[in-house]
Amino acid sequence: MTVGVDKKTHQENGRKSVTLINPHAFPGSAEASRADLEAVCRAVRELAGLSPQLPTRIRLQHGRTSVEIDWPVTEGPQPPVRPSTGQAAAAPDDEPESGLRYVCAPMVGTFYQAPEPGSPPFVSVGDLVRPGQTVGILEVMKMMSTIEAEVAGRVVEVLVPNGTSVEYQQRLITVAPATEG
Amino acid sequence: MFTTVLVANRGEVALRIARTCRELGLRTVAVYSTADRDSAVVRFADRAVRIGPPQARGSYLHVPSVIEAAIATGAEAVHPGYGFLSEDPDFAEICEANGLTFIGPPPRVIEQLGDKAMARTLMAGAGLPVLPGSTGALATPGDAKETAQRVGYPVILKAVAGGGGRGMAVVRSEEGLLPAYHSTRAHARAVFGDERVYLERFIEDARHIEVQVVCDRHGAAVHLGERDCSVQRRHQKLIEESPAPNLPQELRERMCQAAVRGALAVGYVGAATFEFVLTPDHRFYLMEVNCRLQVEHPVTEMVTGIDLVREQITVAAGRPLSFRQDEVRPRGVAVECRVNAEDPARGFAPTPGLLTEFVPPGGPFVRVDTHAYPGWLVGPDYDSLLAKTVVWAPDRAQALARMDRALSEFRIDGPAVRTTGAFLREALARPEFRAGTHTTGLVARMTEEPVATGR
Repeated sequence: MTVGVDKKTHQENGRKSVTLINPHAFPGSAEASRADLEAVCRAVRELAGLSPQLPTRIRLQHGRTSVEIDWPVTEGPQPPVRPSTGQAAAAPDDEPESGLRYVCAPMVGTFYQAPEPGSPPFVSVGDLVRPGQTVGILEVMKMMSTIEAEVAGRVVEVLVPNGTSVEYQQRLITVAPATEG
Repeated sequence: MFTTVLVANRGEVALRIARTCRELGLRTVAVYSTADRDSAVVRFADRAVRIGPPQARGSYLHVPSVIEAAIATGAEAVHPGYGFLSEDPDFAEICEANGLTFIGPPPRVIEQLGDKAMARTLMAGAGLPVLPGSTGALATPGDAKETAQRVGYPVILKAVAGGGGRGMAVVRSEEGLLPAYHSTRAHARAVFGDERVYLERFIEDARHIEVQVVCDRHGAAVHLGERDCSVQRRHQKLIEESPAPNLPQELRERMCQAAVRGALAVGYVGAATFEFVLTPDHRFYLMEVNCRLQVEHPVTEMVTGIDLVREQITVAAGRPLSFRQDEVRPRGVAVECRVNAEDPARGFAPTPGLLTEFVPPGGPFVRVDTHAYPGWLVGPDYDSLLAKTVVWAPDRAQALARMDRALSEFRIDGPAVRTTGAFLREALARPEFRAGTHTTGLVARMTEEPVATGR
C-alpha cells in the first residue's frame, strides 16, 4: 500500500517546513489505519533525510494524514543546536557548546568503516543513527569488535579514514544528536 | 639493533628508559593513559600513543592496547620497565608472537621465577640457600600448621604470585597462624588472582641485600655487586645503597657468586635481581628473584658506571654483554632515597594533588630520576613515587652528607602534597644507619616515635 503525498514547502518565521497531506487517507478500519501510519512514518524518515540538518519539529496528524516537518533556517552548514539533555553519559570529548557528540574509539586499534573490504560503509554522512547501532569496526590484535553509536542523531562527519590506526578515545564520527521535545 | 622501542610504562622509569633509548639513537614510543597526557615521557618521546583510561587495567596493564600501539608505530621492541606488565610471562609471549622483542628474560623464565614457590625449589636445586619452609604452595591449613611447627616461629606467609614486598604476613605464634593464612590467601586472590601461599622461617633483625646480575644470550652472566635495601617500611624500600655497609668481602663474593649460579641455572637473559635476607650471624638465604629492572637500579649504575637499561636493550637485540666480570669495578658509595608523595604524619597516606613548586636538588654527583615538574598533577591512580634522589661519593660518610644536603635542597610544594623528604633525612641521621648496623626493623622503630611532618 502506498500513500500518495502532496508535498508543499514553505518558509516563514525563520523556519522551513514541509507539509504532507494524504488526500486518500480516511478514517477506516484499524488495520488500514495502522498500515497508513507505518507508510507515513516511512515518508517522514525519507523527508527528514532531505536536509543534512536535523528537523526542529515534526508534527504528525493521523486522520486525513498530515505531517509537518520544520527545519531552522540557518546560514552555512551547521546543524541545529540544542544542548543534549539525554541521560547517556557524555564521552569526555563531547562539546556541550556545539551540541555535537562524537563516537570515540573504545581502545587503541584499527578503525574500519565497513564490515568487509569493498562493502558499503556502516554509516555515511547524513545517515540517522540509533543508540546501539553499529557504526564501525575496531580491530585490536586481530580481534574485531563493533563500535556502536551512543546517541540518536545524524552523522555529520566521518573523521577517520577506513583502515586507520586510532588511539583510545580518538574521535571517529561526529553526530548531531536528535533533538527532543 | 632496533630502530624503535616502545616503553610500556609511565612515570620516572618510562622517562629514564626513553633517555637511554635516545642516547642509543633509537626512536621512542610512549604509551599513556588519559591521566598522563601531560606527562614528562609523553613530551620527551618521539611518538606517544594514548592507550586507555587512568585505571591501569584498561591502559598500562591492557595487553592488546600496548601491542596495538607497538605495531601501529612500527616499534620492534618493548621495554616494560618495572611493575605493570614487566613480569607477566603472557605479555612477554604475546610480544614475541607479534614479532616484537620483549626486553627481558624469556617468558618461560619469568613464569618459573614469578611463581615464588617454584623459584624457591628451582634455586635450592641450583645450590642456593633458601630459608626452611614449605616445599611449594601450602595445600591446606593443616599443612601450614605442620610446616610452621617444623621450621619454628616466627614465620612469614607469602603469596606465590606476590613479590615486590606485597602479599606477605609475619606470624609470631601458632594462634596467629590460621587467621593470617586465610587473610593472606584472600589478599592474594584479590590482588594477584592467585590465592596460593607458601611459608618460610622469618628472620628478625635481618638485612635485605640483593645482587644485580646481567646475562646475555651467549651464556655470559655477570654480577654488578650488591645493594643494601634494609631501610623498609612494611616491606617497601625507602633507602638503598651500594655497596652494602659492613659486609665482609668474602661474604659479598659468595652472595654474588650464588646469584650468578642461579641465573645460569635457569638460562636467564637480561637484568635480574636476586634478593637475599642476611641474618645477624651472616648467613644468607634467597628470598626471590626479580625478572626486571629494579626501582633502585641507579645506585648500581652510579658505582659501576654501567647503564643497566642500555645493557638490557643491547642484550635483547642479541649482542653480547659489553663487559666481562673482571671489568666490573665498583667504586665509591651510591645512595638512593625515594621521595614519595606520602604524609609520614598520617601513616604514610598518599597525598595526590597539584605540584605548585618542584625544584630538584643539583650539584656535584647528584642524580634525580623524576617525571614531576611544577604544574604536574600527582594522580591518585598510580604509586606515590615522585623522585629518586641518588648521590655518589668516594666513601659512605661523604655520600650520606651529600644525600642530606641534596634532600635539604629539594623544594616540593602543592596544596595537598606532602612528601617523605623530611622522614628520609631523619632516617639518614639515625645512629644505627650512620654506623651501617641497621636492619629491616629500623623504620618500624622510628615510626613508633613521633615524626616530623613531611613538607
